[in-house]
Amino acid sequence: MTAQATGKWNKYVTAGLIMTGTAVLLGLLAFFWTPCSTTAMSLSEKFKAPSLSHLFGTDNFGRDIFSRVMKGMGTTITISVLVVLLSATVGILLGALTGYFGGVVDEIVMRVTDAVNGFPSILLALVAVSVLGSGRQNLILSLGIVFSPSYIRIVRSEYLRLRDADYIKRARLMGVGKCRILFVHILPNILPVFWVSVMIGLNNAILAESGMSYLGIGVQPPNASLGNMLSDAQGYLQTAPWCALAPGLAIVWIVLGFSLFSEGIRRLGE
Amino acid sequence: MIRIENLSVAFDGPEVVKNVSLEIKDGEILGVVGESGSGKSVTALTLMGLSARTARVTSGRILYDDVTLLEAGKPRDKALYRRYQGARMSMVFQEPMTSLNPTQRVGRQVEETLRLHTKLTAQERREKVLETFRSVGLKDEETVYRSYPHQLSGGMRQRVMIAMAVILHPGLLVADEPTTALDVTVQSQIISLLGEINKKQKNAMLFITHDLNLARRLCSRVAVMKDGCIVEIGETEQIFEHPVQEYTKQLIEAVPSRLKERKSDAEPRENGRGRTAPVVEVRDLSVYYQEGSNSLFGRRKRRCVVKGADFALYAGESLGLVGESGCGKTTLSRAVLGMIRDIDGSVVHNTPRPQMIFQDPYGSLNPTKTVGWLLQEPLRARGAIDASLALSKEEMEEAAYNMLRRVGLEDFYFHRRPSQLSGGQRQRVSIAQALITNPGFIVADEPVSALDVTVQAQIMELLRNFQQEMKLACLFISHDIHVVYKMCDRIMVMKDGRIIESGDTQEIFASPREEYTRQLLNGF
Repeated sequence: MTAQATGKWNKYVTAGLIMTGTAVLLGLLAFFWTPCSTTAMSLSEKFKAPSLSHLFGTDNFGRDIFSRVMKGMGTTITISVLVVLLSATVGILLGALTGYFGGVVDEIVMRVTDAVNGFPSILLALVAVSVLGSGRQNLILSLGIVFSPSYIRIVRSEYLRLRDADYIKRARLMGVGKCRILFVHILPNILPVFWVSVMIGLNNAILAESGMSYLGIGVQPPNASLGNMLSDAQGYLQTAPWCALAPGLAIVWIVLGFSLFSEGIRRLGE
Repeated sequence: MIRIENLSVAFDGPEVVKNVSLEIKDGEILGVVGESGSGKSVTALTLMGLSARTARVTSGRILYDDVTLLEAGKPRDKALYRRYQGARMSMVFQEPMTSLNPTQRVGRQVEETLRLHTKLTAQERREKVLETFRSVGLKDEETVYRSYPHQLSGGMRQRVMIAMAVILHPGLLVADEPTTALDVTVQSQIISLLGEINKKQKNAMLFITHDLNLARRLCSRVAVMKDGCIVEIGETEQIFEHPVQEYTKQLIEAVPSRLKERKSDAEPRENGRGRTAPVVEVRDLSVYYQEGSNSLFGRRKRRCVVKGADFALYAGESLGLVGESGCGKTTLSRAVLGMIRDIDGSVVHNTPRPQMIFQDPYGSLNPTKTVGWLLQEPLRARGAIDASLALSKEEMEEAAYNMLRRVGLEDFYFHRRPSQLSGGQRQRVSIAQALITNPGFIVADEPVSALDVTVQAQIMELLRNFQQEMKLACLFISHDIHVVYKMCDRIMVMKDGRIIESGDTQEIFASPREEYTRQLLNGF
């Protein structure tokens, strides 16, 4: 990104960086250390309200919610990043090929993406997971497939626009190879647009992963994920509202952070 | 009478218009000439009350018949301006396509001025619009009245714009580059029309242009602007014959004109015509274009864009291809370069990779790369194709630095990106990139049309030097007859896909055979 070169640093970026930064750090930290165990149950500690020893209180099995939120954030963010990585890679490859070369392959890929876009993404992912089976890898794979059409479209339209740019024509005249034109000459030019869509995609992936886990087809208990924590807490909304509040707020925190960050980056680019 | 007194305008930073004072009497056409960024458009827009919201008038005032329209330190009186805009002062813009609303019939758009400023009935308004259409030379005014902008040609649209501007006989007409987007023959008609209107309506006219030839033809007085200041102002002939300021001299000097008779290269240039084999030989070339080929099931139409082109180009020679937009000159050049495959006839060149220089200096360099990278890329590509020509990293860098110096850029530009260069500098890099592999043949598609006159002159000089040094054959495409005259040994005139006339530059300029060629040369 040439962010600093073109625009001024702004508060969106700062706020976004702080919010996503804390979430990512806590999430990463959770892979190595959490204040309490995320799976150890203790009936005597059940439904404790937030206190100094349990910052966010405890759940129906007496597990420390703060630790589980940390772990959940880590899981959710990792899965989302992998999903975006997968779908963005597919998007760049297929988008570049279809946009630059056009033709029959382009028509076929476009009709398939139209079909995929026609369904709500969660529904499609549900179908994919029920075919592939649940579990972390399958969740990433199915969400990745469902999210790739939007990247294909964005990348394709950029390649379509740039393939006739004068500097690309000149590169062709110089005899630059097709692969090099695609990925060395054109690709850097689409990154500013692509970056924004990756940020938006991350948000969607976080929400989708939480949604899937909430429905019980994502991360399986006893592993913590923000989605399945919410789903577990549902039954105790009246007696122990903190059980739902903590993971819910965590989702809002991450998504808002990413939104602010991507908005800030977009403004920087202008 | 319009008086601009000591006007200064600033945006966020420094002033872009500095202490400009102008006076336009009724019935007079004042030309404002200058290169891009000289502040001429900002002056006009401020005068019209159309300047951007971020523009601040930092000093001076604008008077219209002793009414103060605008004064520094006071907010713009919007109500006052609305009474003047359209009725007493109006403006013709450069781009006739975007200054008309594409979703409304043009008759209705012109009529709107009348609806806003007069109490005429619908019937009277219609009559008046038709009458004005006739007076600006629009034939078949009923059809024009019912047309949408896209159904009219560029020249007709500009006539509609002019009709809209003069329908209420405004005391002030501002024309901001009104002919820049038009073809030469149309350009000449529009200029005559503006002159006629001025004679008939006796209004004050402010004519803004970068083209000194046009200013000379139309204006009684001329102001030369540079960096926001008026450097010289006076009677047109006075300025052109005896310019006082150095900058004005430079400007006039830079304009290619017949009077100067190509002094710089009076000695006949050597071109191996007749002796050696041509660099490029085109035989009976027809080029086709697929219409609607983007959809899977759409019916494809094969349209012939270039018919039966036949010519040869020799080393060191520069062949001009002139014609109006849409005549097929760009298509022909693409076919010659092998970028279009759907052709009949043959194109033979004995040079492996002919290169191309484009018009738009902003679009022809990859914005994400540095100048050094861009200059080395042709060498890398050549090395990738033919391993015997591959150079080492140091050799390539060396070659790139060499080329950079040869096009007149300092070494530190090596690490700059295109966005940090001016238009002229970019065009220099483009030329360097095209010539670094010594291609033997280049196509230059309007290479100087997007540049300011003084820069234009430098780039032409550079191209000529390279041509002589490298024995470069050049197919030079342009709509600007002056540029072609200066650059080319031979000329081909193209119309509707056919080459209708060709021959030595001097001969064609002296005695054109075709009526169409005569029209093209008319403005010369």
